Amino acid sequence: MSERVTFPRVLRSELTKLVSLRSTWFSLGGVVLLTVSLAGVVGYGIDHDGEPPADTTHAVAASFLPLDFLVLVVAVLGVLQMTGEYNGGAARATFAAVPRRWPVVLAKAGAFVAVTAPVMAVTAVASFLVCQAFLGDDGVSLGDPGVPGQVAGAAASTVLLGLLGLAVGTSLRHSAAAISTLVAVLFIVPVLLGPVLPGDREDDVLKFLPTVAGQAMYGSLGGADSPFPTLSAGASALVLVAWVAAALAAGTAVLVRRDV
Amino acid sequence: MIEVQELTKRYGDTLAVDALSFTVRPGQVTGFLGPNGAGKSTTMRMVVGLDRPTAGAVTVNGRPYRDHPDPLRQVGALLEAGSAHRGRRARTHLLALAQTHGIPRSRVDDVLAAVGLAAAARRRAGGYSLGMRQRLGIAAALLGDPDVVVLDEPVNGLDPDGVLWIRELLKGLAAEGRTVLVSSHLMSEMALTAEHLVVIGRGRLLADTTVDELIARAGVGGVLVRTPDATALRAALLATGAAVTSEERGTLLVTGAGAERIGDLARDNGLALHELTPRRASLEEAYMDLTREAVEYR
Repeated sequence: MSERVTFPRVLRSELTKLVSLRSTWFSLGGVVLLTVSLAGVVGYGIDHDGEPPADTTHAVAASFLPLDFLVLVVAVLGVLQMTGEYNGGAARATFAAVPRRWPVVLAKAGAFVAVTAPVMAVTAVASFLVCQAFLGDDGVSLGDPGVPGQVAGAAASTVLLGLLGLAVGTSLRHSAAAISTLVAVLFIVPVLLGPVLPGDREDDVLKFLPTVAGQAMYGSLGGADSPFPTLSAGASALVLVAWVAAALAAGTAVLVRRDV
Repeated sequence: MIEVQELTKRYGDTLAVDALSFTVRPGQVTGFLGPNGAGKSTTMRMVVGLDRPTAGAVTVNGRPYRDHPDPLRQVGALLEAGSAHRGRRARTHLLALAQTHGIPRSRVDDVLAAVGLAAAARRRAGGYSLGMRQRLGIAAALLGDPDVVVLDEPVNGLDPDGVLWIRELLKGLAAEGRTVLVSSHLMSEMALTAEHLVVIGRGRLLADTTVDELIARAGVGGVLVRTPDATALRAALLATGAAVTSEERGTLLVTGAGAERIGDLARDNGLALHELTPRRASLEEAYMDLTREAVEYR
């Protein structure tokens, strides 16, 4: 085939770029190590001086408590995948090679999923197994009803929030601005929105936030003792996918119009 | 071939490029000259679609850059030194660019060798010196074996060896029939490399001409002759059709005859010469003259 730009080629290029940076492997390695070992700590804590989980969902969700926060590392990796283009001016070379630009965003998203999905799948399964091992008799097994879906939800939710980071980085292109915005969207807005909204609106709105939808995908929020209602895991996944698609579309629209 | 038509770029209140039109032809090195802030870089960025024109258009090989299915095979551009992620190895940086077009891996090694970075190919771009980053940028520009090469200030940061290398590289690319546009704010560098010149100032076209024409326009030049036989030499020179002026006793300023011809003429007539200095028309002066009005810091 002749030498010209095709989407699979741009995807290959973006894979090369993502796996060739040490920061990719440092941050993903850190996420795996911390998430899995903290899952063990959570399991140990519950087993020694906590109340045993109320049901299967809670037992599984305990494994992913560390992921509620460590997802930020994955999301920052998504941000840096784009803002890193402006470090040293690589963006000039990238967008001169692919002047239509939108394939670059899609290819980055594809490369991000290709690299993070397997890593997060392993992380989710390992976190689950380690935490349940510490829970002993209170633990559940991977074969119990609903458990595989919850574990898959943990991995998928992390990858999707990472793509949200990529989208924010595409719109804002400065690492510091993009990361601050991301922290605000993921962790500050959900906390502030509750008190700001009138009591009855709160329950209608919060469940649609990316962080809430993401955590509902693995049962970390929701259930009878939840401070506010959440959507089902499936509906939450759809909500999060919609957020990611909208944010990527908005970022791409900004990127193709702006001067590099 | 690069065709720039009524190209305009406005940043807020600043008109960086103002209805600029010129054509860059294949087979020669075209120098793109202007004082700092004249709009050279902005124009070059619009050539490769990094900046959008406010008005007007620029086409490369007959089409807007974005509309080419194989942009790197059409135009190779060095816009600023490096343009690579600081944490990525030079070879990987080029490989990722090559992969967007399905350019073979072997070509990456070829261009790295061509720019003299073969031994440093596995080092991270962040550890490169300015000169090495320039070479990396040139390697990226050559990656697609492009018909058109656009280089913004390529000699910045290069040592004398590197400057000489760039000069030969540019001439070689033009001799292969490629279109070569190279910017500089140094007339002296362009005088040695370019055959054609596009001079801009404050975003407007000041001259689109050959180097020889610009020298002629400068109105200086000629040969300075000091001789005890001024009257006889003057008569002999006038007889050959040269023009002679004299600013002081015993010196002649001759135009229309080269130093060799004047020397031969003096010998044939048995006249003594004490000095014979070709006043190589100062291209620098011509350029300063042209851009004097257009120097502006903004």
